Amino acid sequence: MEFQLGLALPTPNIIMGFDLNNHGLDHLKDIGGFSGKSKRSFEQAFGKFKQECKTKTLLLWSGQPNEEEDQKDQKKTTFSTIDENDAEEVDQVVGWPPIKTWRKKMFQQQHRVCRIENNRVAGKDNGRSIYVKVKMEGVAITRKVDLRLYHSYQTLTNSLITVFAKDKKCADDDYTRYILTYQDKEGDWLIAGDIPWQNFIRSVQRLKIVRNWS
Amino acid sequence: MQKKMAYSFPDEVLEHVFSFIQSVKDRNAVSTVCKSWYEIERWCRRKVFIGNCYAVSPRMVINRFPEVRSIELKGKPHFADFNLVPDGWGGYVLPWIVEMAGAYPWLEEIRLKRMVVTDESLELIAKSFKNFKVLVLFSCEGFSTDGLAAIASGCKSLRELDLRESEVDDLSGHWLTHFPETCTSLVSLNISCLGSDEVSFSALERLVGRCPNLRSLRLNRAVTLDKIANILRSAPQLVDFGTGNYAAELRPDVLSNLVGAFSSCKELKSLSGFWDVVPAYLPALYSVCSRLTSLNLSYATIQSPEIIKLVSHCPSLQHLLVLDYIEDSGLEALASSCKDLQELRVFPSDPFGAELNVSLTEQGLVAVSLGCPKLQSVLYFCRRMTNAALVTIAQNCPNFTRFRLCIIEPKTADYLTLEPLDVGFGAIVEHCKDLKRLSLSGLLTDRVFEYIGTYAKKLEMLSVAFAGDSDLGLHHVLSGCESLRKLEIRDCPFGDKALLANAAKLETMRSLWMSSCTVSFGACKLLGQKMPRLNVEVIDEADPPDSRPESCPVDKLYVYRSVSGPRFDMPPFVWTMDEERKILH
Repeated sequence: MEFQLGLALPTPNIIMGFDLNNHGLDHLKDIGGFSGKSKRSFEQAFGKFKQECKTKTLLLWSGQPNEEEDQKDQKKTTFSTIDENDAEEVDQVVGWPPIKTWRKKMFQQQHRVCRIENNRVAGKDNGRSIYVKVKMEGVAITRKVDLRLYHSYQTLTNSLITVFAKDKKCADDDYTRYILTYQDKEGDWLIAGDIPWQNFIRSVQRLKIVRNWS
Repeated sequence: MQKKMAYSFPDEVLEHVFSFIQSVKDRNAVSTVCKSWYEIERWCRRKVFIGNCYAVSPRMVINRFPEVRSIELKGKPHFADFNLVPDGWGGYVLPWIVEMAGAYPWLEEIRLKRMVVTDESLELIAKSFKNFKVLVLFSCEGFSTDGLAAIASGCKSLRELDLRESEVDDLSGHWLTHFPETCTSLVSLNISCLGSDEVSFSALERLVGRCPNLRSLRLNRAVTLDKIANILRSAPQLVDFGTGNYAAELRPDVLSNLVGAFSSCKELKSLSGFWDVVPAYLPALYSVCSRLTSLNLSYATIQSPEIIKLVSHCPSLQHLLVLDYIEDSGLEALASSCKDLQELRVFPSDPFGAELNVSLTEQGLVAVSLGCPKLQSVLYFCRRMTNAALVTIAQNCPNFTRFRLCIIEPKTADYLTLEPLDVGFGAIVEHCKDLKRLSLSGLLTDRVFEYIGTYAKKLEMLSVAFAGDSDLGLHHVLSGCESLRKLEIRDCPFGDKALLANAAKLETMRSLWMSSCTVSFGACKLLGQKMPRLNVEVIDEADPPDSRPESCPVDKLYVYRSVSGPRFDMPPFVWTMDEERKILH
């Protein structure tokens, strides 16, 4: 892209990627010791996060099919973690991202519902929603779907096809070569469709769309 | 030869002329022409705007403007919205109400933003101002429904009660019953922030039914979908409506009732609310959509296909607030359907999530910039950006007045070139010559501040986080941005040099906020000492700043100009750097 402001080329000391241990933050590291405050400085928070994130990546995806691919998708780290010990607490820097407090509360309400025990509404089935996560092989984005909106495998599958169609930009758009699998309460991965729909929605924890090689 | 120009306009004539000048800025200009104009103007000033409640004392305002009918006050700094200002910092409205109760018996309007309002203040308002008409509490806190009950029962000609985004201690939904049966004057009622599950709905219905001039009604989440139809039918003159909960099991009779109710509102132009949306009920809105100029879907967790369906029915849309569920595909649809779009705000649905959950990228914003030539105001949360996209956006939209981009992860580089986003934001300030407000994010060096100082001559408010390399960055902004009024900075390596070199600039601005930067305590003291017309406040919740060496950086710094000197209502963790080198506490 052509954009000239008539200024010199950027200076050599540019941060590449996500390495934040240099480039102007050294002095923040130095003063970190003085503050002794309960809210962490940026450096402390981020340093701690990077440690945790590595272990978290493994924890989130262990026991899933195609673990390699999942870890590849996870290479872009984000700025917060889900503390496995306490689903309520999210490790964050104060005031970032800049979202008003009442909006944050709203998000946390909506997502707490989805994060308890393998992303399933635990015991509080008020007839409103059952959100489960849906992942498709080869697609970076994990979506959430409300199972209450569907009454059969067919309607669910049709909806998933619509949703993932734009994400899956591959040459072979033949959907009969994908299978819908789900993880049940015992943690086992099964092919969807064998048990009656009502039993299915009561036991499904998460969904995964995998390629059918057979 | 005339030696003296005979200005024989009597004061009354000038006063009449001045009454046509409404804007605060113009009024201020009029008052500086000459002494007699100053005198005449101050007696006929009806509306006062005070952008920082600590910049002037209530007594000074009353002494200068004895006949005020309408006052607007702002309290806490903007970063208070994101929890950066500790509770108890200040911004109390009570001293103002107490003084005005005596001096302005005919006060009609009070508008407050980010202030602490107590039930006592509300009760005093209800008691003191016989002709009170308008109360707007924007992002305020400290009061309960008891205070609201006092307003409802005490203000006989109340026209507007707007509690937008305030935090209310919800003790009881029955405060609504305190509106007397004789109250028929309401024009605007916004209770969307109330959390309680027990809004006295029958009182609300009766109130709405007896106020024929009600134009704007925003309900709270507790009001269920089945109640909406009745409310709308009793107020078909509504121009602005905020639903409550928009979820229920799909029932054809409820749906058709809702369809009928919405289509009876021929004036409806603005919609909001939509908590917990069930998509099947969205078609009820279609009859309104063609007239809709403003749509707030930012609480609605509906997915892109439903958003697209709704938005493509709204060709007149000017303002859209939405969650990032809209995705790039939805923004493309928006760009082709809504050619009148002026303002777009896209909020993140899962800002703290560890997984990418939506396909919203820089492409969506580029599409809107291309398709919507009237776009002026943008707030966009996303996870990746490129310089190329920003340059394109800048070239497509030279009319931007507000541009706020938040790339969720701090210090994110251009994802294609891995370079800083200096050039991209530089393009924004270069092309958008009327830019008044800018928020930066992503990986940024001192270079971006050089661009801003060079080009952003109309910029009034700048928000900076996790950016820059050195004091030079701050210096570029303070020395270059001629129109700068508010500067807020967090987690940047900006220290003493730039601040002290540009101390005089701070007197031309409303305020400066710096937190987690490298400004030393010594520099703060020096600034406070040298600049008597600035209040230099150091905020530190951990230890008093003088318990450490002077070279240590302060946690948070808030500097603002004031003609009333340091304030005396500070909590223990705020220190003012006084000119006599005394640290006031």
